[in-house]
Amino acid sequence: MPDTNKRVIIIGLDGMPYRLIRHLAAEGVMPNTGMLARDGVLTQMASSIPAISSVAWSSVITGVNPGEHGIFGFTDVASGTYRMTFPNFQNLKAPPFWKTGANGRSVIINVPSTFPAAELDGVLIAGFVALDLRRSTYPSWLVPKLADMGYQVDVDSGKAGRSLDLFLKDLDRTLEARIRAYRYLWAEEDWQTFMLVFTGTDRLAHFLWDAYEDASHKYHEAFLEHLNRIDQVVGETVARMNDGDALIMLSDHGFDSVDLEMHVNYFLAQEGFLKLRRTPAQSLADIDQETKAFALDPARIYVNLAGKYPRGSVPVEEREVVLGEVTGRLRSLQVEGRAVVAAIHRKEDIYHGPFLEQAPDLVVEPAKGIDLKAGLTASALTGKGPFTGKHTREDAFLLVAGPAGRTAVPANPCVSDVVGILDRLRDGHSVR
Amino acid sequence: MHNAACTCWNCPAIDLTGKVDFRACGQSKEVFAQGQEGQGEGYIVAECKRRPELGLYDPMSVTFEECPEWKRTPFGYLLDNMRVMILGIDGYLGWTLALWLAALGCEVSGVDNFARRGWVSERGAHSVVPIRGMTERLHAAKEVLGLGINFRRIDVLNERPKLREFMDEMKPEVIVHYGECPSAPYSMIDLDHATYVQQNNVLGTLGVLFMMRDSVPESSLVKLGTMGEYGAPLTGRPLFEGMFPADAVLQWDNREWSMGGELTPRDPVSFYHVSKVQDTFNIYEACKYWWLRSYDVMQGVIYGVHTDQVAADPRLRTRLDMDEWFGTVINRFVSQAVAGFPLTLYGSGEQIRGFIALEDAMQCMTRLITQPPEPGQYDVVNQMSGFYSVRQLAETVARIASTEFSLPVLIQRVENPRVESDIHPYEPIFSKLPDRFGFQPRVPLEDEVYRMLELLTQPHIRQRINEKRHLILPRTWWSGLKKQVETLEIIEEIKYEPTRKAFRP
Repeated sequence: MPDTNKRVIIIGLDGMPYRLIRHLAAEGVMPNTGMLARDGVLTQMASSIPAISSVAWSSVITGVNPGEHGIFGFTDVASGTYRMTFPNFQNLKAPPFWKTGANGRSVIINVPSTFPAAELDGVLIAGFVALDLRRSTYPSWLVPKLADMGYQVDVDSGKAGRSLDLFLKDLDRTLEARIRAYRYLWAEEDWQTFMLVFTGTDRLAHFLWDAYEDASHKYHEAFLEHLNRIDQVVGETVARMNDGDALIMLSDHGFDSVDLEMHVNYFLAQEGFLKLRRTPAQSLADIDQETKAFALDPARIYVNLAGKYPRGSVPVEEREVVLGEVTGRLRSLQVEGRAVVAAIHRKEDIYHGPFLEQAPDLVVEPAKGIDLKAGLTASALTGKGPFTGKHTREDAFLLVAGPAGRTAVPANPCVSDVVGILDRLRDGHSVR
Repeated sequence: MHNAACTCWNCPAIDLTGKVDFRACGQSKEVFAQGQEGQGEGYIVAECKRRPELGLYDPMSVTFEECPEWKRTPFGYLLDNMRVMILGIDGYLGWTLALWLAALGCEVSGVDNFARRGWVSERGAHSVVPIRGMTERLHAAKEVLGLGINFRRIDVLNERPKLREFMDEMKPEVIVHYGECPSAPYSMIDLDHATYVQQNNVLGTLGVLFMMRDSVPESSLVKLGTMGEYGAPLTGRPLFEGMFPADAVLQWDNREWSMGGELTPRDPVSFYHVSKVQDTFNIYEACKYWWLRSYDVMQGVIYGVHTDQVAADPRLRTRLDMDEWFGTVINRFVSQAVAGFPLTLYGSGEQIRGFIALEDAMQCMTRLITQPPEPGQYDVVNQMSGFYSVRQLAETVARIASTEFSLPVLIQRVENPRVESDIHPYEPIFSKLPDRFGFQPRVPLEDEVYRMLELLTQPHIRQRINEKRHLILPRTWWSGLKKQVETLEIIEEIKYEPTRKAFRP
């Protein structure tokens, strides 16, 4: 018999690295998390390729790779055009765990890339990118309640460029409103699965990774306080749990410091693979016929194939040649005496499934300290952006509380294993 | 097509959802409220209200040429069934444009409080071309041309809630603002008239800006200004199109500054012109504060009677005024020629002005509509097809009237009631409309004057001109004086050889 009383709680910390959470748990900044780690399993987890939230969380909630769920980045190119689209929940081709019928009534708060909110058995408040609260929320009766709570989907990152104080204040406000929504839904809803993701962690790490690394930094304490506040919510959650409830904590990717950004499209143009019809280009619509390859963020490279794009000029039989040339040039690329690239993946090697065709031909992973960007307006090969932290792939974390973790967690887990873990925690039985 | 490469960034059908900086996994709506570019590297995220199936996308990656909602017309790609609202739809330009755009497939709505009819009759004048009431106009448009126009009687200044309601209902994708009092002499009659003109124009337009911010921020405002905002500076500096060109430099005290992009000086020449200058600043600021978008159209002196639509039926004719307050100079000269009233030059008659025929003005407005400004963009165009001295115009009218219509025409110089230099340099720049919007003037001055004479010499119109001939000579002095101007000189009658209808269009 399925155990209808067995509830699972998932707490996500966007961009929280394994080594950081271990460190903070040990140092007492996140004591509740530390306690859970001692009694359960805390392990490193691999993110998706590329290691960005939209792709990684889509794998977390569907249990499949991008070739099966169809989300390859925050941006994509609409088939047969150069129209740049921002894939959202409607483009997710595999069902999330709350739609499979195996996990009962669900409360889903702030999972990235779940906008626009779609009908489910339960409640969903979408996470980033979600610019409109009304369409971020299902069912709609919840919208005014959230508005009353001062709920906003995400911190306004535009503020960080103007004032870090303003940014931190907004970060706090966003977190506190999210906690209010969590408490309200925990108490008011009858649920079997409760998933809550904190995304401020990622924003904090982008703008203030240096503040974490440098104890004398003006915002070092603010960085730690934010994570301590989240740990309090973890403690509160543990206290609210019933006997037999299971708890998973996880992140979607890791973080590390960055000191140099490399602009992939600038590189492709410099090497003669990319030709734009005007400078600075405004969009992909400016891609010229002579283009052999172009890139989308963060470093997904597409061959400008004839028949696939309006001004595609590379015959299918020459695709291998172009891929070989691009790979070779990137491998040998050195900036300031160091290699830029850590790995270059071909889509056939990393993805499988019905949507392989729309995948980028190559995905490039940067070397330590370097971040790759694929805007079209860069005026130099490298630069220094406003960010001090960048995503990493190997260093996400996974924590399963209690002794159950030992049997539920596979060796060398990755983001697409989470649904399997969820199943195992429910003893492989359907809740309803 | 001049606008083929424009993108959804220019299109009123997109909803600018927000801005996303994927480098920091950050999202922001603030950029639209603040009108600031933030850090410049993020993606603008938009949705298409007409094609929701596109989902969220980069508005700069789809061009008008590729978008099925933008259809080819002789004036560039035009948004299919584009919703246009005309403020001042009952006026000389408003009515003409309504029919013109409806004939092109636009969904036209408009408002008017019939103030223009009131001002003209207050002065004891009338439109020399007879015009029908709005109800009959609308019926005739339907019956003769098959065009439906959605009209609401609304006073832009004093009935703001009603206008806001109508905007919310129609959701115009472009608003053409002709709803102002267009007369310099009318504003100079006395304090009451000056106050009225400035309130009506400036505060009326200010209200429109707030309403656009709250109701249709993605719509563009095509607003009628006037070349008279610039005046005619005696230094002879060129009259740029609103803003200094990129390479303009100010030198002073052995130092220099770039003036590129700054508003050029305005030197208005009546309290009416001041109202237009004040509008310019209000619109400029609104674009800056709220990311509204606008073309401020510095129109040269308008003249003419013809478009295919207004000429299709007597009930569809647009108004034509010749009195001292509302008659523009060529329209007045032609009326004077028909009435046998010597054409009146103020002072020397050497004042130089830019001019544009009615039909060419319609072409310009259409081209502006087909290429909406970008969010936050305020731009100025000088809308004219050529410039002449007033004396040249008088001679042209006289020549055509006498040679083609056998009308004996005299030209006279009268006292100049205005405060203006009647001999001055004049170098208007008017290259944006031809260069960026593909405008090509199609109506030669002589052709339109010929067409006007054809219409105005019809007996019933000639009679209407004669009935009001006493209102031609000005009596409104900028000094405040109230007396009819005196003749300074009758210029010798000029004998013209008849041609063989050389100017028949």
